[in-house]
Amino acid sequence: MASKTGSTPATYSPSPATHKKKRIPIADVDWVRPDSRGFYQCRPAYLRTGAVSPAAGSAYAEFGNTKVIVSVFGPRESKKAMMYSDTGRLNCDVSYTTFATPNRGQGSDKKELSSMLHKALEGAIILESFPKTCVDVFALVLESGGSDLPVVISCASLALADAGILLYDLVASVSVSCVGKNLVIDPVSEEESYNDGSLMITCMPSRNQVTQLIVDGEWSTPKIHDAMELCLGACSKLGEVMRSCLKDVVTDLKE
Amino acid sequence: MAAANGSSELYSEMEVDAFRRLFPLRYHEQHLLKSVRTDARKLGSARDTTLALGAVASADGSALAKIGSTTMLAAIKMEVMTPTVECPDEGSIAIEFHMPPICSPLVRPGRPAEAASVISKQLSDTILSSGMIDLKELCLVGGKAAWMAYLDIYCLDADGSLFDAALLSAVAAFSHLNIPVVSLNEDGRIVLVSEDNVQLKLEKQPVNTEKRKLKLKSPPFSLTCLLHKNYILADPTAEEESIMETVVTVVLDSSYQLVSLYKPGGPVLAHTSVIQDCVALARRRMKELHSVLNEAISDMEVD
Repeated sequence: MASKTGSTPATYSPSPATHKKKRIPIADVDWVRPDSRGFYQCRPAYLRTGAVSPAAGSAYAEFGNTKVIVSVFGPRESKKAMMYSDTGRLNCDVSYTTFATPNRGQGSDKKELSSMLHKALEGAIILESFPKTCVDVFALVLESGGSDLPVVISCASLALADAGILLYDLVASVSVSCVGKNLVIDPVSEEESYNDGSLMITCMPSRNQVTQLIVDGEWSTPKIHDAMELCLGACSKLGEVMRSCLKDVVTDLKE
Repeated sequence: MAAANGSSELYSEMEVDAFRRLFPLRYHEQHLLKSVRTDARKLGSARDTTLALGAVASADGSALAKIGSTTMLAAIKMEVMTPTVECPDEGSIAIEFHMPPICSPLVRPGRPAEAASVISKQLSDTILSSGMIDLKELCLVGGKAAWMAYLDIYCLDADGSLFDAALLSAVAAFSHLNIPVVSLNEDGRIVLVSEDNVQLKLEKQPVNTEKRKLKLKSPPFSLTCLLHKNYILADPTAEEESIMETVVTVVLDSSYQLVSLYKPGGPVLAHTSVIQDCVALARRRMKELHSVLNEAISDMEVD
């Protein structure tokens, strides 16, 4: 470390001198989205496979300001301490860079994302196709602009497809936030911090099956129905975008 | 070689790949006899290098450097600290190098790679001793507040020459760094001054008047070479590094002065003539890297 006394001095990040008028959602007024999207409009997705050369499969996803890289290694040898199993194992890890969040080092709070990613993917992978071995899925969030876990899950399933791991179907994931009286899809970090409730669905679009559903906060039954419809519609569109990304790679190779 | 076999193309393709896996040293030596490397480079030439500044919007300075497939992302975040009693008018820099599990099959989550801490220390020593940055420029209010620059470098793809790519991305991130405008509060805390406030807040004089750039004196550039028998291979890939273990890293600054020379053991003992050849290769490489950096900076300024 560069400090001369040998111990790390305490530092703080300079905060803005005047508090920007925080737009707290009021119950009767419509929320205005900071990036002027419609309520039911998702951010444009930029997806690319083959980002990391030593990995069996990898993908890079950019949804607005949320940027994620996922690498898949395997199927490879499991750790020796594990017992024999005749289905394969899935091992997931999600980590944040120190500069991903506006305040340095906030990403280390998000340790539960690794197990949530595991639960989202294990329903879609044909584990019987690689017995005794293990597939590692590692994700690194380069910049966190809201809706991190859905982007990580979609990017991970693209990386698994790039690695050639057998899947029942691609997995697409979208989340919806309830801000004031509006439902907004694909929230950014500001909207996530003000929401009264959030709902995230991970589904396999062509099979019409849901692998993971997470609901947080206050919801009334009709609102949950609307939110689920929204998410499922967005998931199938995202699934098509992911498929076309994979097809483009193949057509490029053929040329 | 297997490729010269008269058998069908697919059969000879498999033979070459199998030979490469089973006898990697002989595979590489066959190439070195013809003065070429497995990716058709000459022995002394480095891979294509690209640099992109401002890759991370949320950081105060950032850069993405790629040497061949090796990719490094460096970002600097500025925070405020109280300077030490011994040096009340100097700021500080904290450099950390991370190898996340995505970059290589050898890195496991929860267990940092050995190479990460070695390179982290090497980078820290090189950047601070090269005198590229004057710590006095990081001072805000003498004795009370100074900048602490946190430089984090993430390896996104590890394919050899990690130190070279990391140093290049660090130097590029510092040259892209924009120090935010701040002023001193009544409580003695430093606060950010936003652009629309500059005319209004007359009672709080901004401590620094405009977004400043750091003055970089003679940035350092490095070249890693592999020594094997009588050959010197510049800018090795991960495959070459895993087979031939003797590595020499030469760091020069832009006025051709030697900043650091690092040869951590290895089976090949180097004569002084070999070291001089490495330094000569490093001089050539330094010119290439300096022009890449200048091009990237001028591209940024055009925007």
